[in-house]
Order: sequence, then C-alpha cells, then structure tokens
Amino acid sequence: MKETLPDLARIANGLRADVLRMVHVGGDGHPGPALSVADIVATLYFGMLRVDPERPDWPDRDRLILSKGHACPVVYAALVRLGFMPSEALGTLRGLHSMLQGHPDMVKTPGIDMTTGSLGNGLSIGLGMALAGRYSGRDYAVHVIAGDGEMQEGIIWEAVMAAAHHGAGRLTLWIDNNGWQSGGRVTEIAGLEPIAPKLAAFAWHVQEIDGHDHEAILDAAQVAAAIADRPSAIVAHTVKGKGVPFIENDNSWHKRVPTADELERALVALGEA
Amino acid sequence: MVTFKGTREAFSAAMMELAEQDSRYVLVLADSLAAMRAARFAERYPERVFDVGIAEQNAVGVAAGLASCGLIPFVATYAGFITMRACEQVRTFCAYPGLNVKFVGANGGLFAGEREGVTHQFFEDLGIMRAIPCITIVTPSDPAQTRQATHAIAQVNGPCYLRIGSGREHDLFDADEPFELGKARVLAEHGGGNDVALLTTGLVLNRVQEAAERLAAEGIGATVAEVHTLRPLDREAIAALARRTGAVVTIEDHNVLGGLGSAVAEVIAEEGLAAPLVRVGLQDVFPESGEAESLLDAYGMGITDVMAAARRAMERARSR
Repeated sequence: MKETLPDLARIANGLRADVLRMVHVGGDGHPGPALSVADIVATLYFGMLRVDPERPDWPDRDRLILSKGHACPVVYAALVRLGFMPSEALGTLRGLHSMLQGHPDMVKTPGIDMTTGSLGNGLSIGLGMALAGRYSGRDYAVHVIAGDGEMQEGIIWEAVMAAAHHGAGRLTLWIDNNGWQSGGRVTEIAGLEPIAPKLAAFAWHVQEIDGHDHEAILDAAQVAAAIADRPSAIVAHTVKGKGVPFIENDNSWHKRVPTADELERALVALGEA
Repeated sequence: MVTFKGTREAFSAAMMELAEQDSRYVLVLADSLAAMRAARFAERYPERVFDVGIAEQNAVGVAAGLASCGLIPFVATYAGFITMRACEQVRTFCAYPGLNVKFVGANGGLFAGEREGVTHQFFEDLGIMRAIPCITIVTPSDPAQTRQATHAIAQVNGPCYLRIGSGREHDLFDADEPFELGKARVLAEHGGGNDVALLTTGLVLNRVQEAAERLAAEGIGATVAEVHTLRPLDREAIAALARRTGAVVTIEDHNVLGGLGSAVAEVIAEEGLAAPLVRVGLQDVFPESGEAESLLDAYGMGITDVMAAARRAMERARSR
C-alpha cells in the first residue's frame, strides 16, 4: 500500500476524476473542496496510513477524520480504491439507501472512522481517539483534516487548547488552506491568517507545506509522527478545485454538479479521460 | 455498603463501582470534578479522568472519540451545558452514530438549580433529549435510585442521559431497591387508586407522595406512579393507568413543554383515551433564584398544586 511518489500523483488525479464522476452521476456534491484536499487524502491513505480493508474496525488501525466532511467524495473514492467497498457504490452518492451519505457516516460506510459534516468537530473527536489510544496502550496515529474556513468554529480552539494541555502526541491536524469557504474568500469573511503562529502560540508543533506536493506531505507527516509529546499541525497551502483549470479558484464549484461536457473536459485535464 | 449524600455523590459512588469492574469506564469532565463529587474517582483512577476545562462542546466531542475506540465515557457536568451548549455534539456525534457515551446532567430542574438562578436551573433538558432520536433518558427520584440508574445505563450499549440534582435530594428508596430501566413503577394506590393517576418523574416524587396521602385523607384515591425512564417510555403502563383512572396528572420539575407531561399527552392522544390531563411543572416561564423547596412552591410544583391538579383532572373527567 506504500506507493511511490509518481504513483501518488496518479492516484490523486484518479480520486479527483472519481469525485467529479460521482457528483455528476449523483447530481449533488462539493467538487471544489474535494479536489483541494485530494493530494493529502491520497498521500495519507496510499503512502502512510496503517489500515486494512479486510478489517475496517481493526482497533490498531490509524484513524482519519475528515472534519471538513463535505469533501467526502474524495475519501469515498480512496476507500473504494483501497478495497473497503465495491466500486459500484460510487454511483450511489447522496441517493436514497446509499452507503455513501451526503456527509461521512461511520455506521453506513466501511472505512469511515467518524461521522462528520457539521464543521469544527473533528479535532475534538480526534483528540478523544488519541487519548483513548494512549490510555489503551495502542500506538495508532490520528489524522484530522480541517478546512481553513472551518477554523472559524469555536470548538476547534477548545480542542486546540485541550490537545496541547493533554500533550496529545499521535494527533495531527491537517489544514487544507485553500483560502475559500462556502460564501467567499476566508480573508474577506472572517480572516484568521496567519494560522501557523496562532497554533504555535497554543504550544502545537506546526509545519507549513505545499499541500499538493506529495513528497512534502509525506515528509511533514513523518516529522509530525515523531513528535510524541504534543499535537502537530500541518498548514497545507492548497488550491480549491486543484487539477482542473476551469474549477481552480472558482468558488462556484464549492457545490456544483458538472455537466457531461464539463466532466469530459475535466477528465481530459486530469489525464483520466 | 456505599454511603453518599445526594444524587451527585450517588453517581460518583456508582462510577467507582463500575470502574472497579471494567477498565473501559472513564470520566470526561468540563472543570466539573468537584461539582460531580468525583475527587475520589480521580484519586483512585487518575488515568481515567479526561478534564478538558470549561469547554463542554469539546468534552462531548472528546467523549465521542473515546467511545469510538471502545471506551465507555461518562460526560458529567451541568445538565444545560450538556443538553444546550453541547446539544449538537450530543446529537450528531454521539446519538447519530449510536456511540456508547453516557451523559450525566446535574442541576436538572429548579429544585437543584435553586439559588443559582435561571442560568443554572435546567428545565428544558428532557424536552431537548426527547427530541433527539435514540438517547435513553432517565430521571431517578433520589440518591439510591441514582446509583442504581447509573448501573442500569452502563449496561445499555448506546447513548444515555441521566438527569440528577444538586445534593440536597430527599432519600426515598432503600439502597438495594432495584431500578428497572424502561418500566414505570406504581408506588402507591390509595383506596384502590382508581380516582386519579399521578405520574411523576425525578426529584419531586416526595411531594407527589405527600399530595397523594393528603388526597386520600379527603377521600380521593390516587395512584402514584414513577416514570423514571422517558425513553424507552412505558407507554403500556401509562395507557393502562389512564384507562383505569380516567384522570391523569403529570408532575415534573421541568417545563411542562417537552418532558413527561408532553410524553404522557402523546400517549393519551395517540391511544384515543378519554382521560383529561393536567400538567404540573414550570408553566412555560423563566423562574428566578430562591431556596429550593420554596422555589417549587412558588412556581406551581407545591404539594397543594398537585392536589389541586388532581381535583381539576377529576372534575373535568366528571363533566365530560
């Protein structure tokens, strides 16, 4: 499961293509935020995480919480590619009786470690998982992926404070820092830059990387994993809609369904036509 | 034999007993260790206490994470801070995934919140929790039953809410009196108990018992039944009592909207029963600070209020 860097790039674009196909077929969903985080999701699932599709409830597995749950099609695509679910599931996104809910559901979807979608909550839950691991003597890692806009939620900062106080190693917060939120640019709505020094001031270990550079993602993850006595944040600078030129930085794609023509053009751009 | 004073100590004593049996039981606090009388627990099991400070939403989120990894967290702090401040975390991240998280809410009602005033008197919690699917809801009536109820919800594999008080509760039951989750319990049938059913939940049971005795002295035969579990609700027992008496009074230290009164009204209406209902409780107003017993008297939950409600229900039944 530990893929090479060129393979990670190929996989990430494959996930992007699956996202757009899913949203097109399902008729609803959030392509922009999913494309933005595709390289991080691909690198974690295919280059790093200790997971086993045969045992989705394996107690020693690494955990991934997609706190920005609306980006879930990219995680669904990864879980299918890993073998947690049959590929036919991808055609049922957001449909009645689908195992793929509009936002992640840990009961309905094998491989989803936590139900998410209401923003801001993933870090608290990840902290609980990390504390449970320490209490139980298990060494699994917990990864939480949040959006930069999501950092406006108050509960995030409650968790930031508590995670530092409890010295929660094995807990890594990835911030998909694409600069956009549902209603527009983060800086124009309720800006919180600079994020990294704020987290550092809370005694977190902080790194800043290019969130589309698979090698940088892997390196940062490994550095974070070695920090045992405090939580770690990785501010990943990303482009919303990354990989498809006409979607990149066009916030109308926060939630939008590609037409057949748009899908075809996007797949060409991704090398997945 | 454990000894404790009040429902908070009773909960804490039960936690000690649970922790001795099983290392999965842990406590999640929001600077509520002293309030929940958990110092002894923390001394004995320091690694099982997760205090996140004054941050209830985070506390419930952390509990969800702990539960998802197989532990059985009890989140213990003030009732309103769980059911209102952290309502969404309770609903979306514990109840919806069916995680095995227990919520213990102190200061449920005016009697418990008393002199603190409205900010610390919680009379909406039962209605809020009833509106969220899948949460077991328990409101024991005294310290001994709180201990039993804590053990009972520990046996449920899923989210549960336990409403407790402040520490000044009346002792009503023997320590070994069992607590049967989901079953209404008939405690008295004065003169056969066929004139009126007094259905109550929580820490006002002593008042209801006293009212029933005084009604008996007036020749009114009341049945006193404790509905300590609001979910799963013992609909059969409630309907049977309504059928038998034809006049029903609910008594709870909670707003009359959303709690026991609403639950019983739903049963009576849906079963098509011809039984007038009078709801004793906070009459949809904000109360104020005050001494515990006199607060209940001032806000419609006095013994004479229960008696008047019984007479009114019977009168309405007669005039149908």
